[in-house]
Amino acid sequence: MDLGLIVYALNLASIYALMALGISILWSSVGMINMAHGATFAASGYAAWIVTGALKPIIIAAFGKTTLATIIIASTLIGSAILAGALCGIIIYLLAFLPIHDKPNYPVRSLIITLALNIGAVQALLWYFGPRNRGLPKIFGFGRWEIWETKIRYDQAGVIIGASVVIIATLAWLRFSRRGLEVRAMMQNYEGAAYCGISRQSTALPVLMLTGALAGMAAALLSQTIFVSPTAGVIPLLKGLAIALLGGLGSVGGAVVGAILIGFIEAIVGAIPFLGQRYVYFAGFSFIILVLIFRPRGIGGLLDATRE
Amino acid sequence: MPDILRINQLSAGYGPLRVLHEIDFTVSEGERIGLVGLNGHGKTTLFRAITHMTGWQQGSIKLNGEEIGGTRSLGAGRRTAALVKKGIGVAPQGDAIFPGLSVRKHLECGAHTKSAWRNRRQRIEEVFEVFPPLRNLQHSLVGKLSGGERRMVSVGRMLMSDARLYLIDEPALGLAPKVSKRVMDALWALPVNGAMIIAEQNVSLLSGRADRILGMHAGRMRGDIGHVDLN
Repeated sequence: MDLGLIVYALNLASIYALMALGISILWSSVGMINMAHGATFAASGYAAWIVTGALKPIIIAAFGKTTLATIIIASTLIGSAILAGALCGIIIYLLAFLPIHDKPNYPVRSLIITLALNIGAVQALLWYFGPRNRGLPKIFGFGRWEIWETKIRYDQAGVIIGASVVIIATLAWLRFSRRGLEVRAMMQNYEGAAYCGISRQSTALPVLMLTGALAGMAAALLSQTIFVSPTAGVIPLLKGLAIALLGGLGSVGGAVVGAILIGFIEAIVGAIPFLGQRYVYFAGFSFIILVLIFRPRGIGGLLDATRE
Repeated sequence: MPDILRINQLSAGYGPLRVLHEIDFTVSEGERIGLVGLNGHGKTTLFRAITHMTGWQQGSIKLNGEEIGGTRSLGAGRRTAALVKKGIGVAPQGDAIFPGLSVRKHLECGAHTKSAWRNRRQRIEEVFEVFPPLRNLQHSLVGKLSGGERRMVSVGRMLMSDARLYLIDEPALGLAPKVSKRVMDALWALPVNGAMIIAEQNVSLLSGRADRILGMHAGRMRGDIGHVDLN
């Protein structure tokens, strides 16, 4: 296996991991399968497009075409996408969590509401922006490094590094902060958490904002490779859901491992001459189904053996 | 003595099932109360009703004179965290532990009030004094502990905050006699700055040590049943 393939696989894995992590954390702590994650993804992409579109001429006028200007554009792009994602999280909290979280059948109701939100938001984006794809400024620049006779594009390296930083920061937040401790307690035993004064209402908002921000980050990073469009969130949502299931819903480590596995499977299948890109989804989803047949709780059970 | 808990005409249940029937009782400050009844006669449901964990409930519950009861048919668990913050410490049946967290993290979770969180190190030490075996286990995952150790973690978590009312549900359930004796001894030795209710099927574990023993039968309070001398 050559290095280029590994880089491509990690590139896919980074985006998948960002999406799967959000879905997995949200499901296990708030008890909500967020179908509006895809809409969050698309909306964040458009938010970044609007903000950078408006600010780019100003920034370039002020700083010229320097490295500093590129850095400022990059941070406005990523920052606006993350902010928009968090904002979508707040909207989902207000519409799909607060009104129904203490009603019977809340998981199913929230699934239906978020699905409706997703469809509505995608249609709204389509109506307002039209079906045309939008390109965002290339924040990592054009070009490639050559390492051991393989070429690594700047945007691929940027996606991998950016996603790794965000994922590590999220895991560290869960592990070391007080709020993270509360979220983990919530994930493992809802009743025990309630007896520790941790309520679903108070954890839901930060968790929804965090997972929205993760989707926003994924959108900002993927926009470097693929154009922004109203339906851009559909594939990341499906992949994210499937990988969250593969990793074991609620297992943060499992989601990351699952994303890396699927990234590599897709990259390898795409590179095998007689299979090729046509069989990428087929291979990925077959693998997920196969794992779930033999290990219905997903691979996360391997990582934290105590979870039952 | 001021009342810590005053329950009036409390009924509760799940869906069409009515488990508690118009319960009345009062707990004064400094009291340690044993609650005795057979399996399925409403001890756990009474505790769950106090923390709003039942499916529905009606009737008055006054904690330190503040009304926390009321009629409700939905929203099980919705107010639980807020009620716990008003000063109820719960060691539930089945322990409700977090299997993937270490003993230490567990105890930190219990320190939910501001002052408790600030002094959490010292409080964890205090819990270790009550349950010495936990000191050596403080970095192991709770999911890997034995039943007795889990019970100690669950009770220790309850002790981490400044609760005025401790609700302890069947602390000896499923434990070997020796271990259950140790847990019970530790519980009776606790300094109580409010009041404590221990639900238990085995009267002999409460006899001679509880200030009052209340009997429950078929979801109704049978009142003070007095101590049973088993010797």
